[in-house]
Amino acid sequence: MKALSSLARPYRYWMVLTIVFPMILIVVVAFTELNLFRLDTFRFSLEGLNVLRSDIFLNALGNSLKFAFIATLLCFLIGYPVAYVLANSESPYRSLYVTLLILPVWSNMLLRIIAWEKMFYPSSILNLFGISLDLIGTDTAILIGMVSMYLPFMIFPIYAVLDKMDNTLIEAATDLGASNVKAFLTVTLPLSLGGIVSGVIMTLLPAMTAFALPARLSGGRTLLVGNIIEDYFMRTGNFNAGSMISLVLMALMVVLYLWVLRFDKEGETLI
Amino acid sequence: MDKLIQINSLVKAFDDNVVLNGINLYIKQNEFITLLGPSGCGKTTLLRLIGGFESVDDGQILFEGHDIKDIPAHKRPINTVFQKYALFPHLNVFQNVAFGLKMQKMPKEEMRDAVSKALALVKLKGFEERNIKTLSGGQQQRVAIARAIVNKPKVLLLDEPLAALDLKLRQDMQYELKEMQRALGITFIFVTHDQEEALTMSDTVVVMNEGHILQIGTPVDIYNEPKNRFVASFIGESNILKGTMIDDYKVRFEGLEFTCVDHGFGQNIPVEVVIRPEDITLVPAQGGIEGVVTDVIFKGVHYEIIVMVQKQEYIIHSIYPQKVNDRVSITFEPEALHVMSL
Repeated sequence: MKALSSLARPYRYWMVLTIVFPMILIVVVAFTELNLFRLDTFRFSLEGLNVLRSDIFLNALGNSLKFAFIATLLCFLIGYPVAYVLANSESPYRSLYVTLLILPVWSNMLLRIIAWEKMFYPSSILNLFGISLDLIGTDTAILIGMVSMYLPFMIFPIYAVLDKMDNTLIEAATDLGASNVKAFLTVTLPLSLGGIVSGVIMTLLPAMTAFALPARLSGGRTLLVGNIIEDYFMRTGNFNAGSMISLVLMALMVVLYLWVLRFDKEGETLI
Repeated sequence: MDKLIQINSLVKAFDDNVVLNGINLYIKQNEFITLLGPSGCGKTTLLRLIGGFESVDDGQILFEGHDIKDIPAHKRPINTVFQKYALFPHLNVFQNVAFGLKMQKMPKEEMRDAVSKALALVKLKGFEERNIKTLSGGQQQRVAIARAIVNKPKVLLLDEPLAALDLKLRQDMQYELKEMQRALGITFIFVTHDQEEALTMSDTVVVMNEGHILQIGTPVDIYNEPKNRFVASFIGESNILKGTMIDDYKVRFEGLEFTCVDHGFGQNIPVEVVIRPEDITLVPAQGGIEGVVTDVIFKGVHYEIIVMVQKQEYIIHSIYPQKVNDRVSITFEPEALHVMSL
């Protein structure tokens, strides 16, 4: 192990350079007053905190939480049955189905978002089939986009847990007098909790921090936290506010991560 | 005693593979019955059919006179101790044992009493709050038994429950299970491939091979009067010799004629003769069946001695050792011979 540890060094440097250093920078920028490219006015300041009280931030945070929670719930309601059927399937094509589900994940997300966007305008390729949608700017559009983007991330951790589950546990439950439904509720569901939790995290986090998706599918009308961070950095140049909001998002993620660890002490479902 | 379970021409196949081929068997109330056979003989499938985990292809399983084909597993008054215990890892010992009672919606007080009684019976008092993963194999085994018997089933199915335990623990559990069965008055259907286990514990042994029942009988019957070569060689060690039944009580093998206690085969019928290794006495060479000692192995209680008589190898169990290369004669009482038709 020791001999090999030096091989990990390049990646460790890379992590420091691209993750640790930018994070320090964000903390520094969030709590200072800063004019771009001028170090003489650089000083500690809590003014960045003001943005957390602004309507634009609170509105965006509300939107982010709302869409992330609804999308996650939908992903769970759709994803669990899919994972369950897949894990219990004896079809010789099972691995093909799994591949089909994972395939979209391998294609560029922005591309898929734009594909949805095009279809949500009244005049689109769907007209060929006599269908005309006018969804751009609606909550539905964002939710359809999110569910289609994040569904595989919900399905796979649950599928992995269900696939590994010992079927004799279900037999034991029915042997002890549990109907199929009861056996599912008292054995299968609790034992797949680890998969559910990591599926929820894998869906909730990207949904909460999404910015390209809501930007395109809402036609710029619905702002999520990711969108206002982008705005502060790329348009208004208010790095303090942008950094402060980023910090809040990161804090949220850490909280979620700690919550996951409570369910899954080995951390195996997170992979 | 009543017939609790009656099985008529039972057939079960998985795809084209016929696993059970016309099984006829009845099981009495309070019986300890063992299904014994090599792996793949169909014994576990038979157990699973009784438990309701597989569907019957053809034939019937009657429980107290009624066909149970359409009764799902969770409604049968039958509980199972699974081979790898199948304890619920997300529940503690108490919750595991209480699972079946909870499904019956038993009141809390009564449930607590029943669970602690069951745990006391398997000598796990005070383990209620323990996590399943912190228990040893033997303890998990006991929880699995408690979880099944707490429901007071009419029949307990045990699928090689001792296979994963080490020898000493296994022997202890054999006695305890037998004791438990007597005390509870539950019918035990026990599946094993271990002939010693089957002989030790059972009232009745059912020897199976390739989807057929070869012999049903008490352990003593099965051991002393095996019906054919398979049973004779599967149950204990034996010397099986080709011979001819000359007449009642007269059998010829190794070119010599012997008196035996078997009869009713007819005259000059080819047969096989079984002599158990412990029924042979070795004496210094004196004619008769005479051969050379080729191997002596110390087995603890006895020596295992191999004697070659021309091309036939004999296994003898004796508490007295022999010298390799000595010439000896093989002697036995007429009762030691058991004649089987081909």
